[in-house]
Parts: sequence; C-alpha cells; structure tokens
Amino acid sequence: MRGGLRRKLADLVCRALQATLPPSMRSWGWAVRCEAADIEDDTEALLFALDGLRGLLPRAIAARLFHPVARLIGSDAHPIGGSTTMNPHAAAMLRPRAVGIACAIGAVMLGLLYLAMAGAPALYMLVNGGALALGLTMLALLDRTVVAGSRPAGGAILVMAGAILLTALLGTRVEGAARWVSLGGLSIQPSLILLPVMLVAYARTRDAVATAGMVIVAAALALQPDRAMAGMLMAGLAVLAVMRPDRHALAALGVSIAAFAVTCLRPDTLPAVPYVDQIYYESFAIHAAAGAAVLGGSALLLLPAVAGWVREPANRAAYQVFGAAWGAAIAAAALGNYPTPLVGYGGSAILGYALSLLALPRPDAAPAAAGSQGRSASDTGPSDRHLLAGLA
Amino acid sequence: MTRARALSPHARMVLAVLLESRGEWSHGYELARRADVKSGTLYPLLIRLEAQGYLEAEWQQPSEGGRPPRHAYRLTASGVRLALDNPPDRVPVASDRRREATA
Repeated sequence: MRGGLRRKLADLVCRALQATLPPSMRSWGWAVRCEAADIEDDTEALLFALDGLRGLLPRAIAARLFHPVARLIGSDAHPIGGSTTMNPHAAAMLRPRAVGIACAIGAVMLGLLYLAMAGAPALYMLVNGGALALGLTMLALLDRTVVAGSRPAGGAILVMAGAILLTALLGTRVEGAARWVSLGGLSIQPSLILLPVMLVAYARTRDAVATAGMVIVAAALALQPDRAMAGMLMAGLAVLAVMRPDRHALAALGVSIAAFAVTCLRPDTLPAVPYVDQIYYESFAIHAAAGAAVLGGSALLLLPAVAGWVREPANRAAYQVFGAAWGAAIAAAALGNYPTPLVGYGGSAILGYALSLLALPRPDAAPAAAGSQGRSASDTGPSDRHLLAGLA
Repeated sequence: MTRARALSPHARMVLAVLLESRGEWSHGYELARRADVKSGTLYPLLIRLEAQGYLEAEWQQPSEGGRPPRHAYRLTASGVRLALDNPPDRVPVASDRRREATA
C-alpha cells in the first residue's frame, strides 16, 4: 500500500473525476483511477490523474449539459461498451425538432446581440432571455406530459382558438387593436404564442373540431384586427391546402383568406415600437453587425422547415406549414409595424416558437400516410398525441 | 455513425501503438507513454474510438494481490483497418516487451 501526499492527491483527483462523469462514462473514470494507482512513481501517478481530469472534465460537463437536451429531443446518448456516444450534428440532422431548439437559442442570442448594440434597456434583454428559458422549459415539461388516450388534438386547437377569441373580446386595446393581455406588468400577445403551434398541429391532425378551431381563430384575428397573424394563418393554411388538399384544409383556408381580407380593409394605425418593429431597417443603421445579427437570426427560424423537408419526407406538410407560419411572421415584420420574431424585443414570439416546435413530429412517431384524407385526416403518430393534449 | 474527419496526429500515433501490439491488450499508462500523449489526450481518444467500434475494452483482474484491476484495450478489425489507413508521421516509442526481446 503506497501512501504519501502526492499519491493521496492523485486518488482524490481521480475520485473527483469519477464524481463528475455521468453514469454512462463512469467506467472511464475507474480506468484512469486504476491506471494511476498502478503507476509506481507518485509524481507520475499524480500527473497522470491530473491530466486525465483535464482531458475528461470538459467531456463530462458537456455530457451532463447535453443530456437534458438529448432527452428533450428524444435522442438519448446510447451507451456502447460503457461509453457515451453522441454526435450532436448527426442527431440534430436526424431530428429537425433539435434543429429548431438550436435555432431558437441561436436566434435569441443574435437578437440579444442586436439589442445590446442598439442600446436597448437591460430589462428587454432579460425578458427575451427569460422567455427563451421559459419556452424551453415548457417544451420539456409538455413533452414529458403523457396523457394516455386523452383528448384529441382538435380539442387543444379549439381551446387555443377560444383563448385568442377572448383576447379579441376582452384584451388590452391600443388604438383600436385588441391583441394583448397584461400579465404581471408585461403585455403578451396570445395569438403569437398559440397560432404557430395551432397551425402545425392542424397540419398533422385535421377533423371537424380542429377545423372549427381554425374558423374561430380566423374570426378572432379579423376582430382584433391583426394583419400579421391573419397573414400567418393564411400562409400556413395555403401551404397545407397545397400539400394536403382535403376538405378541412380547403375550408379553413377559405375562411382565413376572408379574415386576412378583413384585416387588410380595416385600418391599422399602430406606430412602430422601438426594438420591436421595423428593426430590419433600423438595425443596419446602427451597425452592419447588428443588421447581420437580425437577418441571421430570422433566417435561423426557417431552418427546421428545411431540415424537416430533407430528413422527414413523410412529414413534410407539418414542416412546411411551420416554415410558412414563421416566414409570414418575418415578412409581416419586414413590411409593417409588427413584431420581429425572436430577434426583436418580445417574449411572445419566443414562447410561440418553442411551442410550435412541440407540435413537430417526434422522432419515434409513426410515419405519416402521405395524402391521407377522410373524416379525420391525421398525420399524427400515436406517440405524440399527448403533446397536443398537453397543450389543451 | 462514423465520421470521415481526418484523424489528428495523436490519434494516428495511438492507433499505431495499438496496431503494434498485434491483438495483445494494452493499458492506459503504457499507451500514453509509447504514443507520447498525455492521459488527458489519450482517454477522450479511447472513448471516441471505442464508441465508433474501432476499439474494444475490457477489465482485467490483477495478476498479483493488492494491485488494482486494469482497463485494457485492443483494436477491432475495423480499428486495424483504420490504423493501417492512417499511419503516424513518426515512429512510436518501442514497448518494454519489444525492448526485452531485442536486448
């Protein structure tokens, strides 16, 4: 039995390494510890242990940080011979939802860069950062909500449509527009939070109840009025009607066109809000890097649609509706005084983006039947119905 | 899923040392010494090689009492191919075994 301070330190370092490593990698911690214990020279043993800690600690921390994300996106690291194997790039490309999470984080970060360069109040940056944390937490929690045999997605869409209708009737009114509700001193826009997830969910499950929900939300957006959100509704349903031309999608599209027409006819005199609206133009005036951050962040929002198109041909409708919805939000922000999603100040779009990722197909979902039609046109695999029910 | 990324000089050297062992089991300290890499470089490499199926690892019980068990490594068939396809830029340090045989 060898003693001495250096030997004890070596053992202590190895124990620290073992404590840091996640269970799937712990055998490698044992490997370093046993190897160090077998080295005759105490100094050599200590150096071996210290450098082992130096080399494995970043990997251990990364594995621990990545594990929750991996669980979130349904791509647990798989142990091979006691090792943790995860190629984040490969996992992400296989799972467009993971691309979406990365894009949300990236877009918000680029937005924070713009806000900082533009001299926005620190509170704005805190709100955006907090909304991202809240959105990802909601995504994780709702993703884990298992409600076996629970309410179908149509019910969830109907409930969300009711919430948007209530906003139109009872929400905070500014210059004739009623799009917001006040929560804890913050004005949030329920349509921007709920409409994207409704559209993606509707792309995957269309029945009479869900279609009724889409009709209600179209009416609500016309009432508010909100040209940007009505445009998002119309764009999403137009893409859906092209890719899945069943009677539900066509009926919903018809109503959404009417709603958008109403919003175009009604005046919209709301002025631009600093750091929220018109920032595609203003950001470049501040600095080219700020403009690039805003444009880059906006482009990121559409990447999941591209990844879904490439990786999941059976679920292309859902991904293209997702892309159309967020593309419409970006276009509205570029054309009028409407919020610039994720890169501008505002937590509603950040929450809405995170929630819309929830409705994208899960990796283990059953492949969709392309062109399925009938009384209930469903692209939803049995494993992710609970996600939609969890929203209701 | 394997990556087509080019191997680092350290990885090539570790592979060469393992290849020289000709199917015999090697241990971490010996590998680090012969490949002239530090343990902090060696173990992440071994983890990656094992995860990609180029390396097999096993625990070996000590031959004498009071000694710890050892984690031992050797190349799989695909690891041998990888090592042959990626020779190092320099020659690895000779093993104690070989030195004994040629003394």
